[in-house]
Amino acid sequence: MIVAMSKVEIIGPMELLFPVLDQVRSLGMFQVEQDMRGFVDKEEEKAFQPVGLDKKTLTERLYFENLSARIDQLATFLPKLPLRCSYLEPQSVVATVADVIDKHTALCGGLCRLQDTLRGEREELLRQTAFLDALEPLFRTAGEGMGLDFIGVSLKSSEAVDPLYQLISRLTDGAFAFVTANGPEGTVIVLITVPAGLAGQVRDVLNGERIPELVFPASIGQLPFPDKVKKARQRISDISGELERINAELQRFAARWGPTYHCVREWVLDRLGLLTTTVAIHKTDFCFFIHGWMPSPDVKKLRAALNGHFCGRVIVEEREVLEEEMDAIPIAIRNPPYFRPFELFSRILPLPSYRSYDPTPFIGIFFPIFFGMILGDVGYGLLLLVGALVMLKLFRTRRNLHDAALILLVSSCYAVVFGFLYGECFGGSAGGWSLLKKTCVIERSRSIMPMLAFSLSIGVVHITLGLALGLWSALRRKAARESLAKFVSILMLLCLTALAASLFTPFPYPVRMTLNVAVLAAIPLMLLTGGLLAPLEMMKNVGNIISYARIMAIGLASVLIAQVANRFAGLTGDVLTGAVAAGLIHVINIALGIFSPTIHALRLHYVEFFDKFIVYGGRRFEPFKKTS
Amino acid sequence: MEKVLLGFAAALAVGLCAIATGLAQSRIGSAGAGTLAEKPELTGTIIILLAIPETMVILGFVVAAMILYL
Repeated sequence: MIVAMSKVEIIGPMELLFPVLDQVRSLGMFQVEQDMRGFVDKEEEKAFQPVGLDKKTLTERLYFENLSARIDQLATFLPKLPLRCSYLEPQSVVATVADVIDKHTALCGGLCRLQDTLRGEREELLRQTAFLDALEPLFRTAGEGMGLDFIGVSLKSSEAVDPLYQLISRLTDGAFAFVTANGPEGTVIVLITVPAGLAGQVRDVLNGERIPELVFPASIGQLPFPDKVKKARQRISDISGELERINAELQRFAARWGPTYHCVREWVLDRLGLLTTTVAIHKTDFCFFIHGWMPSPDVKKLRAALNGHFCGRVIVEEREVLEEEMDAIPIAIRNPPYFRPFELFSRILPLPSYRSYDPTPFIGIFFPIFFGMILGDVGYGLLLLVGALVMLKLFRTRRNLHDAALILLVSSCYAVVFGFLYGECFGGSAGGWSLLKKTCVIERSRSIMPMLAFSLSIGVVHITLGLALGLWSALRRKAARESLAKFVSILMLLCLTALAASLFTPFPYPVRMTLNVAVLAAIPLMLLTGGLLAPLEMMKNVGNIISYARIMAIGLASVLIAQVANRFAGLTGDVLTGAVAAGLIHVINIALGIFSPTIHALRLHYVEFFDKFIVYGGRRFEPFKKTS
Repeated sequence: MEKVLLGFAAALAVGLCAIATGLAQSRIGSAGAGTLAEKPELTGTIIILLAIPETMVILGFVVAAMILYL
């Protein structure tokens, strides 16, 4: 529900500005407004000046902003560890932290850069090792000799081997050795042994032909080919050890200094919050004025806290909220415990405006009913109830999942209730269960038209309620024409519903005639109040009501799938196979039974119902409070 | 013969609406998948948008029920 808000002004002597702000922030129930319009008369506005930051405060703010940025930079170098609580008073260590932070940043930054370089080298070596592993046996084949040079190349496929062989043969007049081996990912590794005098020419030609020579990292690049493999493995092992050492050092540093930096950062941010808010405050020669909004029920609490703390030197005054300010009032939403989980669904929507309605209670009331009406099966309902209880136990700390479990719990209860009314248990009809036979009011699978009429009548009630709430909302806004248009729409809708009902049930002639006259009389009234688009709006309302037929249609699909599962089990001729087949189909139906009713019940609210009375466009209430 | 024609008409009413719903949902679905890649927080809105064209098949179903049972 939307909390009633009060326009509040806090007035006090200038020397108490920061203590008052600190107190207001610790209470966390007041949103400071920078704009003075509506708080002070236009003639008096000149007497008020914004509280500008003096040189000392400005220096302090810049110092804290700089320190906060430097702490953030240091944090990027440190590993994420669970932080212990710091026992130091943050204010007393700020100066020390500011002195040492550059040294720490340089140390940790250096370690991180070294870590990155080593990781890069290790990755490169690991990649090269794959080639070196393929090259190693080739050296044994090629042999070793004085005045020889080795060139290793990697070819994408074996088709490129022959052209390369021809090329090297031409260049060296046959004075070469050419051995190949399969490399990683389908490549072919070739080791070419040529006289040292020809090596340069061969390399140039290979470069020209875009056949790159295998390049090794600097640490092993200068070594003779046979030593490369050994050295590469040795280097990889050294790098891993070095990386472990660096990581341990960074973790030691984070464990030692992390909590101190964290608590100093929190304190600095709090202080900055205070200094930043100061800009939104106004003053006269002697007093400060803090303007803003807060929930009406909390005004007494704020007044008592400030009176108690400052011995009556600070005044809290409630001002009259003007008509033109209504759209600027921030929106705070508080719901009773039953409705709170349903905020999960209303959070998807934009915030309503102040004079509109919070959608949460409506979802909380109607959603479980629609869910139950669609699913309506004792067996499925009980299974979902158990599932919801398990979810509640498993997800105590995860808010969204906990809320979803609570919604499922309520909805499954309604599914059980409607299951008794429909006489259904796992798709079985009332005939098979004596208890269900007693409670069964209507069998869905055999009463298609009555269920359709029932669903549509639910639609009529829901849409009429939406229009009535819209009428009330328009009356509160004193929008006379809109109120009249809504009233005529309700009248027209009810008359049309009665006329539709008269087609199926004989109505007395005078009643039918009265309805016809009422509809004819309402048409010009509708055009006058709602304009030329009013008939279209009425058609939309009728379409919205027909949309409620989904309650019956999706429910019917669910019960028919369940019946198919039961018949399928009977057709198999084997108890075990039948149970497995039926169980699988029932599991699919239960999954659909959670998803489908949820989506469609929500859709009926969002598209059909809320469209009639909720006006969106509010801004969130963001009280001034501590960040930590 | 009349029963066959009634059945055929009801099947057409549901079938054509179902095809139209499918076409609309396929387009909304592909656009929604693109949206979710950039803004995962819009999941709820996309699911609701995806359910909107189902009104067509519901209307088709109502018409089919009226053809068969009235």
